[in-house]
Amino acid sequence: MSLSDIWDVLVLGVVLGSLYAVIAIGYTLVYGVLQLLNFAHSEVFMAGGFGGVIALTIFEPATDPSGLQSALYVLLGILGGALLGGLVAFGLEKGAYRPLRRRHASRLIFLITAIGASFFLYNLAGKMFGRYPMPMPTMYENKQVFEVFGTSVNVTQLLIVVAAVLMLLTVDFVVNRTKMGSGIRAVAQDPEVASLMGVDIDKVVSRTFVLGGVMGGVAGFLFGTNLQVEYTMGFLPGITAFAAAVLGGIGNVRGAMLGGLTLGVVEAFTVEWFGDAWRYAGAFAVLVLVLMFRPTGILGERVGRTA
Amino acid sequence: MLNKSIVRLAIPVAAGALVLTACGGDDDGGDGGGGGTTYKIAFQGPLSGTNVALGENMENGIQLAINEANGSGDYDFTVEYVAADDQGVETQATAAAQSAIDDQDVMAVVGPAFSGPANVSAPLYAQAMLPAVSSSATDPTLTEDGKFATFLRAVPNDNAQGLAMADFLAAQDGIESVMIVDDVTPYGEGLAEVAESEMTAAGLSVERQSVPADTVDYSGAARTVTEAGVDALIYAGYYEALGPFAIRLQEAGYEGIRISGDGSNDDEFINLAGDAAEGWHLTCPCTDATENEGTAAFAETYEAEFGLAPGTYSAESYDVTNMIIEAMAELGGDVSREALYQQLAGTEYEGLTKTFAFDENGEFTNTAIFMYQVEDGVRGYLGGVDELVGG
Repeated sequence: MSLSDIWDVLVLGVVLGSLYAVIAIGYTLVYGVLQLLNFAHSEVFMAGGFGGVIALTIFEPATDPSGLQSALYVLLGILGGALLGGLVAFGLEKGAYRPLRRRHASRLIFLITAIGASFFLYNLAGKMFGRYPMPMPTMYENKQVFEVFGTSVNVTQLLIVVAAVLMLLTVDFVVNRTKMGSGIRAVAQDPEVASLMGVDIDKVVSRTFVLGGVMGGVAGFLFGTNLQVEYTMGFLPGITAFAAAVLGGIGNVRGAMLGGLTLGVVEAFTVEWFGDAWRYAGAFAVLVLVLMFRPTGILGERVGRTA
Repeated sequence: MLNKSIVRLAIPVAAGALVLTACGGDDDGGDGGGGGTTYKIAFQGPLSGTNVALGENMENGIQLAINEANGSGDYDFTVEYVAADDQGVETQATAAAQSAIDDQDVMAVVGPAFSGPANVSAPLYAQAMLPAVSSSATDPTLTEDGKFATFLRAVPNDNAQGLAMADFLAAQDGIESVMIVDDVTPYGEGLAEVAESEMTAAGLSVERQSVPADTVDYSGAARTVTEAGVDALIYAGYYEALGPFAIRLQEAGYEGIRISGDGSNDDEFINLAGDAAEGWHLTCPCTDATENEGTAAFAETYEAEFGLAPGTYSAESYDVTNMIIEAMAELGGDVSREALYQQLAGTEYEGLTKTFAFDENGEFTNTAIFMYQVEDGVRGYLGGVDELVGG
């Protein structure tokens, strides 16, 4: 394998991995504050894909858009994905999880509810938007932007990586540097003490869901741009991103980023060496190996309260 | 007093009951006198799920045939349509087949539409002696040794399609190497196997790649194709996966001959792939209903009824349904599942698209394959592969 081959595959891996990283944030944030595995997050991601399609269909892109026009359409798609993703996540917390928290339901019930909500949401999407794949409207000509060591990088790839890095920086800043972030961290460490200190837990939980949902929604739009949008599109990326969150250390925001990138790159090399049929075999073998030696993930869990 | 009031109550109740039963009897009699007995024809195929476009093509064809038969007044029975949705996947196939079997009025099934579900459903139909006539399940093994007693295949199988692809490539100049990509479904793997052996036999060097239909990224697969530098590419799978794959191939700059089979021969492929669909060859045992003289009138009626042009296998499903209705008529008043199967197995029916006849294993006896190519965003009909290669 020559150096340029390695670069080719690495670029594919990083593109996919940054998407996984953004989705994984949604799992890890919610787990951090509620110790809840929010399996319905894959449907938040799917909603983002449809949000992008809807936004772009309403403001129908001109044929062969370019330049500033293209940038506007991309922004529109991102906004559409973020809006619908955030809305679904907000509704999910309000409609499905908050009533359970009020009743102090056991964690098993939360988990079953999450799975149920996931089934409900993707079937609802199937009913509303049709059970067939649809392409993302063309926003730009997907040409080569630049080359790194002989590997060409096209617009979609650049867009995905840049958007992902910006989102990851933002979420890292929000969690570590803002008032909202200290609320999230306080609730993650000890909800009771946090509430005694005047932190409004409901508000913090709700905002955490929306933050994760916005990220998941944008990831859904980007993923749809790279592939296509379909009501079942959330399942596989969702499971992989969840694995990425565990790999990095669930509850740990930077861990989720690292886990996502690792899985993306491992997948890309697995596909290169063993073929696409082995994609998940390679990625999940790495997951199992890491967890054998570091059961808390690469960077370790960062949840105040151990389960 | 007590007795009297009971009697007073009892009389109207009894009278009411009598009237009711009489009404019930009348209703049955009315049905028998008007449209004759009602027979149901079920369709098992993807009516939801990712391949719904292919299923709807067929459902429309079947419904058109049934509506015309009921409206014609030629038959002394009424035909009713029943849907058995299997989403095109094996896991739903048992439930779909069982729903058709449990309905005692269902006399025949059109389908299963896809090969994977057919493998699961056909044994159940055989047990129930319910004839299942598929106008689209092309996996060659389905009719091996006639293993499914009531399964009839009304379409040339993948052997014919694989052979046609090989013949077509062999007739082109300068084609030496080919890569076959399958989607790891029974249909895709079956077609890929056949294509591989036919192309090896034709002296081409063949490479294989398997890319699951639900893969999250086709970039790696497209890279493998371009790196291999093959002269031609065969994709054995369905349009919903070929759409994004074709886009990645275009971006990777692949310029060889690209062929896919009947699973991708749908306008949805062009919708999903956009520009990247240009130049793709699509083989199909199906003719183009709008181009063929025999089916032009059918295409018009179809479009008037459903507001869109007939798609892949619409005309074939229409033919198969008419063949079943015809066989019912030939049986006279004595239609049972088993008798209908015997009638169909021995039939030779002249349809709009082709002549339908089956060998002792339920295999179709006609093996014509047709070629399409995407040009300027439209699936253009090139004609029969035999003619293309011969001429």
